[in-house]
Parts: sequence; C-alpha cells; structure tokens
Amino acid sequence: MERNAMKEHLKKMLGADQVLTEDLDLLYYSYDSSFLTKLQMSAPDTVVLPRSTEEVQKIMQFAYENRIPLTPRGAGTGETGGSAPMSGGIVMDLSSWDDIVEVDAANMQVTVRPGVIHSELNDHLAGFNLFFPPDPGSSKMCTIGGMVANNASGLRAVKYGCTEQYILGLEVVLPDGRVITTGGMKSKAIKNVSGLNITKLFVGSEGILGVITQVRLRLFPKPKGRGIVMAVFSELDDAPRAVLEVYRAGILPSGIEILDSSAIKAVNEFKPHINLPDAEAILLFEVDGNPPSVEWEGTTIVEIVSKFAQTVEWATEPDRMAALWEGRSVTAAAATRVRADGSRIFAGEDISVPLSGVADALRKIRALGKKHGIQVVNYGHIGDGNVHTAPIIDPENPEEVERALKLVDDIHLLAIELNGSTTGEHGVGAVRREYARLEHGDAVDMMQAVKNALDPHKIMNPGKVF
Amino acid sequence: MNLKEVPLLNEQLKKCVRCGRCRTVCPVLAEIKNETVAPRGHIFMVQALRDGKVKPDAQVYDRLSNCLLCETCSGVCPSGLDIPELNEYARSYIYEKNPSMIKDALFDSIWTRPSLLRAGGFFMWAANKSGLQGFARTLGLTKLLPGGLSKAEQIMHDPVMRTARATLPVINPPRGNKKFRVGYFLGCGTDLFSPSVAIAAVEVLTSWGCEVVIPDNMKCCGLPHIANGKISTAQDLAIHNLKVFNDLELDYIITDCGSCSSAISEKRLKMLLENQGYDEQIERFCSRVHDLNTFLLDIVGIDNQGLKPLNLKVTYHDPCHLAKAQGIRQAPRDILGLIPGLELIEMQDSDRCCGASGTFSITHYDLSMKILNRKMKTIADTGADVIATCCPSCTLQLKHGSNLHYNNTPVQHPVELLALAAGQES
Repeated sequence: MERNAMKEHLKKMLGADQVLTEDLDLLYYSYDSSFLTKLQMSAPDTVVLPRSTEEVQKIMQFAYENRIPLTPRGAGTGETGGSAPMSGGIVMDLSSWDDIVEVDAANMQVTVRPGVIHSELNDHLAGFNLFFPPDPGSSKMCTIGGMVANNASGLRAVKYGCTEQYILGLEVVLPDGRVITTGGMKSKAIKNVSGLNITKLFVGSEGILGVITQVRLRLFPKPKGRGIVMAVFSELDDAPRAVLEVYRAGILPSGIEILDSSAIKAVNEFKPHINLPDAEAILLFEVDGNPPSVEWEGTTIVEIVSKFAQTVEWATEPDRMAALWEGRSVTAAAATRVRADGSRIFAGEDISVPLSGVADALRKIRALGKKHGIQVVNYGHIGDGNVHTAPIIDPENPEEVERALKLVDDIHLLAIELNGSTTGEHGVGAVRREYARLEHGDAVDMMQAVKNALDPHKIMNPGKVF
Repeated sequence: MNLKEVPLLNEQLKKCVRCGRCRTVCPVLAEIKNETVAPRGHIFMVQALRDGKVKPDAQVYDRLSNCLLCETCSGVCPSGLDIPELNEYARSYIYEKNPSMIKDALFDSIWTRPSLLRAGGFFMWAANKSGLQGFARTLGLTKLLPGGLSKAEQIMHDPVMRTARATLPVINPPRGNKKFRVGYFLGCGTDLFSPSVAIAAVEVLTSWGCEVVIPDNMKCCGLPHIANGKISTAQDLAIHNLKVFNDLELDYIITDCGSCSSAISEKRLKMLLENQGYDEQIERFCSRVHDLNTFLLDIVGIDNQGLKPLNLKVTYHDPCHLAKAQGIRQAPRDILGLIPGLELIEMQDSDRCCGASGTFSITHYDLSMKILNRKMKTIADTGADVIATCCPSCTLQLKHGSNLHYNNTPVQHPVELLALAAGQES
C-alpha cells in the first residue's frame, strides 16, 4: 500500500491525535536502549497509539490485509532493538494505554492494560499489601506489556522467578485481528491446567506472534521484613561456592548480587565515598519475609559465608541496608560515568550461565575484554547465573566500536560454550537472533512453524528472535 | 554556533544510553504521552542535529520546544546528563539559522532594556485598569493575537502599576547597625509582576540590618533568552551583570527568584561563558550569590522574635529551578516555619512542575494548562488559604490556576508572609 494512503487511512481510523505521520516524529521511534539502534537509524512509516482492544484489532486487520509490518512497543526501554522497526511499517506504541483495570485483592490478582509502568503498579498494589514480585532494573520506566513480551525478571528472580510465573491470562490480538483470551475466558482461578498453555506461548514472544492488550497477573503478599548481607571475597571462586552453601542450608534469598573487581573499581572511581574494599568480588544477599525468619536467614548466611569471605556484614536497619546496597545501586551509573570520554553500551549485556560456571564466565569475560582492548564492568544476579557485562567505550570512535562488537560476539559465544544462554532476561530482539540456530538447533524450525501458523504473512515484528 | 564545537555536547551526548528513566518523570510526557516529547528523545534529536541527520529548521525547533526545561529528567538521569542545557544549545543553534525579527525585537531590543520592559508592564496595567483589556476580550480582539498569545494573555490578568524598581530606591539603608551590604539581583518577573515580593524582601532585609542595593543598571538574568534560542544575548547579559555587581562593594548578592538564582549560579554561568575568560569574574560574583531564603536563615540568622501570629494554612510549591536545579527545598519551608500560627500543609508532589516555566506558558498555553491542572488538584486537596512559592513565573501561573479553579486563593512568596508577620502592611 502506498505510504501516504496508509497514513491517511490510519488517521481516519483512530483520529489524528493517535497517529504520528510526520517524518521527524517517526525518527523518535527508531531506537530503544540497545547499542544497535545507536549505530543504525531505522524509522517506521507511521506510529499508532491505540487505547482500546477494538482499536488494536482494527489496526491489525488493516496491517494484515495490506501486508504491512507491525512492531509493538511499550516504553522502548529494551536493550535488544526488539521494539525498533527493522522493516519500516507501523510501530504500535502501547505505552499510553496504562489503565489498571481491576485489583482483585480477594483473589490475589490484578488486571492491567499493557502500558502500566511496573513500579507504578507496585506502588498502587502496596495499598492492598500485595505486590507483583519480578523486579527489573528498569522498574521505574518499563511497562507490564513489555515485561510480558520479554518475560522479564530482575534482582529477585532467585526467589520469585520471572514474569511468566505470574501470568494467569492474557488478552491477545492476533495478526489477523482475532482477539483471544488465554488462561480461561472467565477464569479467576490461580491454578489452571486446562488446555494447551497458550499463555506461555505469548510470554517472551517479543511481539512476533500478536499484540498483548490485557494482562491478568498473580500477586503475592508484600513481605514485612527485609535484610542485607554484604560479603567481601579475596578469591573470585569463593563467591559462587558461598552461594551454593547458602542454598544447601535450605535458604532461598530474594536476591544475590555480585560485583566483580571490575565493578568494584568502577564504583570506587565514580563515587569514592562508597569506598568498597579492594577485592575480587562482593556479594549482596537480600532476604525477605516475616521478621523472625529474615533474622534467622540473615544470621545463618553470615555464619556460612564467613567461612569463605574476608569480611561479612548483616543489616536490617534501613539506613545501613541502603549503605550496603549503595555499591550495587550505583553500578549501572558508574559503568556509564567511569570513563570521561566514553560510556557503557548495551550490547552483550545479558548472558546467563550455570551457577557453577559464574566465576569462570566472569574471568573469561575480563580476559576477552583485555584481548579486545575494551574495559568491561561485570555485575549481575549470581543467584541465578545471570551476568550483566557493560563494555565501556567511546561510542563515537568507529575503531573502538568495531572492537567492541567483536567482544560482544565473543561474549555471546562464550555463554553458549559454557552451557548457558545468550540472554537471561533481556531477550533476543534483533541483536541476538544470529545465535538462534547455535543455541536451539532444530528447535528453531518448530519456533518458525508456530510463527507461520499464527502470522502467515510475517507482518509481526520482522527481523527479531530467530 | 557550531554544535560540534560545544564542549557540553561533545562530552555528554555519547553518554545517553536511552534507558528511558527520564520518561516517567517528565511532566510534558505525562500529558502528550508519546516519544517525541521524551527527554531522551530531545537528546536523540540534539545528536541528530549535531551529526547533520536532521536540518536545523523550525520543525526541529518545535519538537525541542516541547520541554519545560524543568530539570526533573536531569535529576534522575543515571548518566548525569544536563538534558535541558543540551536542548537549549540546540534551540540557539537552530534559531541562529532561522532568525525572526519579532523575536529579535522582543529578546534583544526590549528584554535587554529594563526601561522598555517596565513601559510594557505599565501598558498592560493601563489596558487592564482602563477596561481596554476586557473590552478587547469582549470584542474578541485578543483572539487576533498570534499563536497561543490570545489565550496566554489571560495569565496577565492582574498587572501592576508600579514596578518594584519604580517603588524602591537604589540604596535602601538598614535599620539600626549595618550588618551587611547586600546587592539585590531583582529579576524581571518580580520587578514587573510581583513587586510586593521585592518590597517585602527589602523590608525584612533592612529590618535585620542589611543595606540593600538594587543596581539600576542591572539587566535580565538571561534565562528567558536561553530558553528561546538566544544564548548569545544571554551571554551578553551575563557579562553585563557580572560587571555591574562586581564593580559594587557588596558583601552578598541575593535574589528572591529561583529561576534567577539558578541562571546566575556558578555552574550555569561557567557553562554559558565557557572558554571566554570570565571564570575569575564568575567566581567572584557567584561566591557572594545566595537565594533569599537561605541567606536570611544561614547568613543573617533571622528568628521568630517579634513576629505576630498568622493563622493561615499554607501549602508550598517547589519551583523547579530552585528545588531541582539548586536543591533548595527546606529553606523556604523553614522561613514559613518561623511564623507563629502558620500551618504548613504539604501538597502531594510539591516539586512537580506547575507548567509555567517562564515563557512556556505563553508559547504552549494549552499544554501548560494541562500541567497546571494537575498541580491545582494537589493544591486543592490541601485546603490551604495561601499558596507559597519562590518564583514569579510560578506565581503568575498559580495565580492563573487559582483564578480558574480555586477561588482566587492568594499566591505569595514566603518572605511576603514573613514581612506580614513582622508587621508590614499588606
């Protein structure tokens, strides 16, 4: 279909205030947080901002009939180019559709539209003493729709898992415009094994199968107590050993974070007053629950970890917890600011390896950094083997960019070599699809078959996932 | 101006990782709800402009102008970007290539000459008091004004006859022994629209032993110029004001206006006059500059002695340039806290922008009113008798909001209430 005719049709369909067509406005939809979209600018032909299922349905029918590529988008905070249009077409910005439809406190669930911001949802739920546990680092800006589409998790995945564990049902508009409700048309049940699990098919599907227009989430009671253990290690290998011993003692912390020597150095350079000890690794264990169990778990972790660590500290007092956590909370910013003429980039940032391979992975990533002459800052969720690597480069220096891209490729291959995955929680998007066959083998054919069944004209988010 | 040679841009643009943290705090995005107004979107556009991927034309200027320059985004940016300042450079770069005679006349010929500004203020007063303004509204003539001015002229619903400069002498002697000789950086907004603030400030300062000097040759702080693509004029104004105040023998320099104190802060001036050889003059000037509230509390050391009770419920609105750009939040509240009987009731999100932002409320009236409506709702929830704030632009905006939505509840600077409690006639 001719580009201007498409724009005019969509304006008539939705009203001019819900459609962006000016070339300049479209440029703003060429990026997310990925380094890829800093290197290349690929804008859509039009942007639509629907705020009802019916509107989404009409747009999808139109795109389907006219074979127009369509890329769904939340807040555009992803790090994989997942919401950036690779083949033009329509970008569907769902971030302004942000209604909390119903908090069903009696049934421990909430129904939301896709544009609700994660932290704002939890602020709202706090009034009911409930919470939606997955806790991504982008909590203050990412949308629930984006979390579902990428099966996001975060700091507390150790204990609370990923988004998929909390999805009771979805409303999805399929590429041809049909609307389905997964998890039972009228169901308010928490347990439900009826039928094929279509819900999970859409969770983490990164917008290649349909558009999520409503989400029914399971909620947990908000824990009343919290405590932090900080442990400092002179040997990197002792850190994962300590984590394993804590698990063996029957304790499941809500989060276990690691800063390796590269992150410690970056934090101290960025904020000297934090003055983290010069060490090979620092672990932060977070425990939550009822105050007596928090106290028991915290003191038991101290007892166990002391066998491995140089120093260990346990805190439940809010100011002290904040002080202990400060090193972790500024790590991402430190990675951005540690080099005056450069910045971190979001690339090769999310590998996941077996717990037993975390120390090895960290060592090898640092060696790869040296090999390519690129400074790296490593931190992440050691409790589930998810390592975040921040290459620090001058992004405006083409030679450095080239070396960084080789490093990123090596990091992804390393993850597969270590029996891990190229991504633990951020997704594949456009930046990791080249590893699909290496990671999944012939299972990619099955993914392709599912995609073809639901989206025969391949209009949904082309150029992503596999 | 060559954007590729602006140090701030070269240092900072590469640091934006487009994480989107700025999206959720932006008051404009909360209303317009799409990426074209996201702070990171502005950074993206500044970068595209610098790299020649978009043309420096009116369309790009319009997009970049959809920003209050309120500094909220900078406060949460993990990369520490000065997002409004980057935007301001880009606006000036575009403006230089697309100059406008009307804008040049306003910002270069009138807004750099206090006497002409005061004449304009008098004309507004005369139009209002003679019934001309109301008559013009009745006839629909105000609708003929260009752009959003037809609506925005309503914000000036209560102009004043005598400006602060016309009322106050250059030298205001102290009462009793002189403690300090204080220069008053009297901003255009206070001078033209809130002279009662300046009168109250002088009253309080002189009664606490300060000789107050209001230089008659000082000019605008330059913030309106910076916001409107006229950085070179702002540079001229800054150089002029540095000379005016540095030539005077002063112990301190104060200003009642959060925007002025932000514009004449060391960080701002050094950014504005970078590599132009003014660092020494800036340091001499800025080492003496204080916000009026912090000056009264920390330097003068005022207390509640002799203050009569004011049985008022007051809520305080944090101006962006005072709270976010300078971190001054507590001092105005402490001033209010000195007054016996005054009950301070905090509104929700007291530092959320009111939508004024200097000329933004004129250039983007409808959008500005949407932002104001949220503010007025949180103010109404407090049930306050008085709205307090420390910025003449916020004051005008809040008065307009109060006029529209909230029974004309008065809007006053904390120092006005302090002067009232000290016995000044209202």
